[in-house]
Amino acid sequence: MANSRYDLAVIGSGPGGYVAAIRASQLKMKVAVVERDRPGGVCLNWGCIPSKALLNSAEAMETIRSAAKEHGIETGEVRVDFPRVIQRSRDAADKLQRGVRYLFKKNKIDLYEASGTVAGPNTIALEQAEGKPAPSASQIEAERILVASGSGERLLPGMKIGDGVMTSREALVHDRLPESIAIIGAGAIGLEFGYFYQAFGTKVTIIELEKQMLPGFDAEVAEELRRQFVKRGVKVMLGHGYKTMARNGDRWSVALDSADGEKTVEAENVLVAVGRGPLSKNLGLEGLGVEIERGGFIKVDDSFRTACDSVYAIGDVIRPPLLAHKASAEGVAAVEIMAGVREPGFDLASIAGCIYCEPEVACVGLTEAEARSRGIEVKVGKFPFRGNGKAVAINEAEGFVKFVVSEKYGEVVGCQIIGHHATDLISEVVLGRTLEATTAEFGRSVHPHPTMSEAIMEAALAAEGEAIHI
Amino acid sequence: MSNEITMPKLSDTMEEGKILRWLKHPGDEIHHGDAIAEVETDKADMVLEAFDDGVLDELRLKEGESAPVGAVIATMRAPGEAAEKRVKPAAQAPAAAPAKPPEAPSAPAKAARPRVVEKAPAPAAKAAREAEKPPAEATKAAKIERKPEEAEAEGPPAFHPAMGLHPSAAPTALAAPPRRPLKIVEAPEVEPEGHKLRASPLARRAAEEAGVPLEHVRGTGPDGRITKRDIDNYLREQQMFKFRRLVHPHEGEPGSREELSKMRKTIAQRMALSKREIPHFYVTVEVDMDEAVRFKKSLEATELFEEDITYNDMIVKATALALGRFPRMNASFENDGIVIHPHVNVGVAVAIEDGLLLPVIRECERLTLPEIAAVSHRLVSKAGHGGGGFTTDELSGATFTISNMGMVGVEHFAAVIVPPQAAILAVSSIKERPVVRNGQLAVGKTMMTTVSCDHRIIDGIVAGRFLQELKRFLENPASLLV
Repeated sequence: MANSRYDLAVIGSGPGGYVAAIRASQLKMKVAVVERDRPGGVCLNWGCIPSKALLNSAEAMETIRSAAKEHGIETGEVRVDFPRVIQRSRDAADKLQRGVRYLFKKNKIDLYEASGTVAGPNTIALEQAEGKPAPSASQIEAERILVASGSGERLLPGMKIGDGVMTSREALVHDRLPESIAIIGAGAIGLEFGYFYQAFGTKVTIIELEKQMLPGFDAEVAEELRRQFVKRGVKVMLGHGYKTMARNGDRWSVALDSADGEKTVEAENVLVAVGRGPLSKNLGLEGLGVEIERGGFIKVDDSFRTACDSVYAIGDVIRPPLLAHKASAEGVAAVEIMAGVREPGFDLASIAGCIYCEPEVACVGLTEAEARSRGIEVKVGKFPFRGNGKAVAINEAEGFVKFVVSEKYGEVVGCQIIGHHATDLISEVVLGRTLEATTAEFGRSVHPHPTMSEAIMEAALAAEGEAIHI
Repeated sequence: MSNEITMPKLSDTMEEGKILRWLKHPGDEIHHGDAIAEVETDKADMVLEAFDDGVLDELRLKEGESAPVGAVIATMRAPGEAAEKRVKPAAQAPAAAPAKPPEAPSAPAKAARPRVVEKAPAPAAKAAREAEKPPAEATKAAKIERKPEEAEAEGPPAFHPAMGLHPSAAPTALAAPPRRPLKIVEAPEVEPEGHKLRASPLARRAAEEAGVPLEHVRGTGPDGRITKRDIDNYLREQQMFKFRRLVHPHEGEPGSREELSKMRKTIAQRMALSKREIPHFYVTVEVDMDEAVRFKKSLEATELFEEDITYNDMIVKATALALGRFPRMNASFENDGIVIHPHVNVGVAVAIEDGLLLPVIRECERLTLPEIAAVSHRLVSKAGHGGGGFTTDELSGATFTISNMGMVGVEHFAAVIVPPQAAILAVSSIKERPVVRNGQLAVGKTMMTTVSCDHRIIDGIVAGRFLQELKRFLENPASLLV
C-alpha cells in the first residue's frame, strides 16, 4: 500500500476523521487515515464513550441507593469495586475502537498508525508514534488532505498535571475513588465528572468563574441544574476564579478569588475541566500558508477548504462547538462537497449541545436571551416534567422543556431541555428544525402516552398558550 | 346593542374607499385589532382593523362597492356568548388572503390545476420537468402547457373529458375553501402523485402570509424542497424586480391614452402642489463611504443580527441622528407657522408597480440600527407584494422622507418635497470615484446626497450644516451603533 497515491488522506481518526473517511470511501475515493493514538480518537477512547459508561455506573449506583427509599426494595450493604467501574468503561472504549478498525477494513481504508504532518500540498510525512511500531511508509501522497486533528485538554497558566491533579483523560483511568475532589470548571466535562463522583460518595466541589453553571446556556436551565446538584450534595461555587494550587500534605489546596475575597478549597484530587482547545500546531500547516485564527482554529471556507487549495479541515480544529456529532457532520459535508454531490455551506445552528449528567441537559438553536438580543420577536413555551405522567411515574419529574419560537410563524428558534433522557428527547426538535416544522406540527403530532416525549408536544403547545397539562 | 363601523380615513387625502374584500362575515366574532376588510384608497390597498370586540352583524357594502369616508359600511353587536375561544382570533387572516380582488385570475387558474395535471400523461410531464433544470422555469413551462386544456377540463379526474359538461360534484368542492384554524397550515389541495410541491411547514406559512405562489419558488432543500430561505430569496428578488420596473418607463402602447390610476392621480396632485407652493432649494454633499462599506461588511461577518443591515438602514439611522441636532429639518409649515415635530418619523420612498409608497419608520430617534433594519425590512417586504396589508399607521405621519435610488446606479438626483414636510433627502449610488486624500489622488467609494428644503422653514446654512452632520455620521459609522 505504500507509495500509492490516495484520493484523500485524513489526519486523525476521531468521530470527524473516521466518519469522513468512510463517507469518502462510499463516494468511491481511495482513502488513507493517519492516527497517532487509537482509532476513534478522543471521543471513543478518552471522551464521550468511556465517560458515558462511567455515568451509567453512577446512575446504577443512584438507583440502588434510592431503591430502599423509593421502591421498598431492601438491598443490604452496597459496596463498590471502583477499579471494576473504571475497567468497564475501558472495555466499552476498546470494543468501539475495534469497531472502527473493522469499519476501515470493510470500506478498504488504509490505516497508518503513525504521527502525521503535512509536508506538502499533497504529502503527509509519517513518523513513528509513541508506543507504536515504525510506520510501513515514510510518507503518503494524496490528491486532497483532510485535517481532523481535533482538540486537547486546556489548562490555565501555571497548572501542572500529575500527583493527583487530573484532566478528564487521567480521570478516566484513575481507579482510586477519591474521598474528595475539587473540579475547576462547570462546563460539560466538569459537571459530568462531578455527578459521577458524587454518586459514588466523593465529596465534590465545583468551581466556576462565571456566575452560572454551563456559561452561555439558558440561565433558567443552568439554575435548575445548580439546584439539582446542590440537592445531591455537591458544593457549587459560582463566580470563583482559580488562582493557584499547592500540595498540602496528602491533599491539594486550591486558592480562589471571588467578590467576597480569597478562599481555599481542600481536596484529595483536582480535576481541571476548563475547556478544550484545537490541535492545529505541529502539523506543518503554517508552512503551506494555511491560516490559523485566534484561538488556534484553522480557517476554512464554505467548502471546508483552507488557504491551501488541496488541504481541508473539519471538526474541533476549525471552530466551536467542540462536539463529536458536529465533527462527524462536518466530515460528511466536507467529503460530499469535494465529491461534488453537495452544495458548499454548513448549518451550525441546528447542532444540539448535550450534557450527560443527571438531570441531563440538551439544547439546540438560540436561547430566549440570545434571540431577543438579536432582535428576533419570540415567545416562549415551557412545560415542566412534573406535568408529564411518565416522568412522575418513574420518579424523574425534575426539569422542563423550553421552546423559544418566533412570534410570527411559530418557527422553532431554539429549544432547551433539562431532565431525564433530555439528550435523547432533543433529536425530535433537531429533526423538526431541519424540516422547518412549526409549533403547529409539534403540537399536532400525536405523541405516545405515557412517554417523556409528550413534554415536547406540550411545550410547543404552551408557546401558543394551548398546553393541556399545565 | 348595535355598533356601527364607518369607512375610516386611511390617509390624509382619502375621500372615499372601496371594499376589495370582506375578511370577516356576518356572525364572525371580532376582536380589537382583527382585520375586517381590505379597502382600496387613493394611496394603497389597506387593511381595516376592528377597534372593538364584538360580533359582525351586517355588511352594508358589497365587495367592489365604494363609500365616502364616514359612511356606515357594517354593523356589529356586543360579544354575546363568546365563550368558545378554542380557535384563536385570526390575526394572520389579512395577510394570508391574497391582496387582490376576488375576481383576480390567479384563483381559478390555481383551482383548476390539479385536475388538468392529471390529464397530462405523467411521464411526459416528468420528462418536461427533468429537461429544464431550474425548477421555477420548469413549472412555468408546464403551466403554459396546461393552459389551453383548462377551458374544456371541468370534471373531476376520473371523468372522461367528454363528460366535462356534466354539473358534477367537483365544482362545489372548489366554491368555498374550507374554513380552517389559522394556526395550522394545511398543505394545499392534494395534488396528484409526482406533482406535489415539496415545501416545509414554515415555508408554507411564510408564503401564505406574503401571498407567494409556491409553484413559482425554486426550492434549494433536498430534492428541491422549498425552505423558508427560498421564500425570503424569492421576495427579495421580487423586490429587485419592482425596482427595475421603476427605471423602465411604464409600458404603454405608443400613441395610446391611459386613465390615471388612483395612486397616479394622488402623486400628480401632491407633487404638483408641492412644486407650486413650496419654494424648493437644493444642497448636495459628497459622502466618503469607505468606512461605511467596511462597517457593513464587518457587521455581516459577526452574524449578530437576524437581518442584514442595509446601507439604507444606516442612512436612516444617520439621518435620525442628524435630525436630532437640526430639529428645523424635521418640521412642517402649517397655517403660517412652523411646527417642529416631537418625533423623527422617517418615510422611506418605496417603488411599487406604477407608483410609490411611503412606509414610515416611527420614532427613529429611539431605535437602534438593528431595530431600524427590522422595521424597515418588514415594511419593504410588505410593499413588495403590491402594498396590500399596510396599516394606516404604517403609511402616515412621516416627518421627513428619504428617497434612495442607490440600487439603480444613479449619479445624482434631487427629490420633490412631500408636503407638509420641510425636507427630503435624495440618496444616490455608492460609486468608485477619484478622491483626494492628504493631497494624493486615490480611488474612494463615495455617495452623493442631496437635500431638498422648504425655504419658508429652512435657510441654506442649516441645510448645509445638516448634511455635514449626516456626512460625519456616515463617515464615522461606529456612531450609528449608539
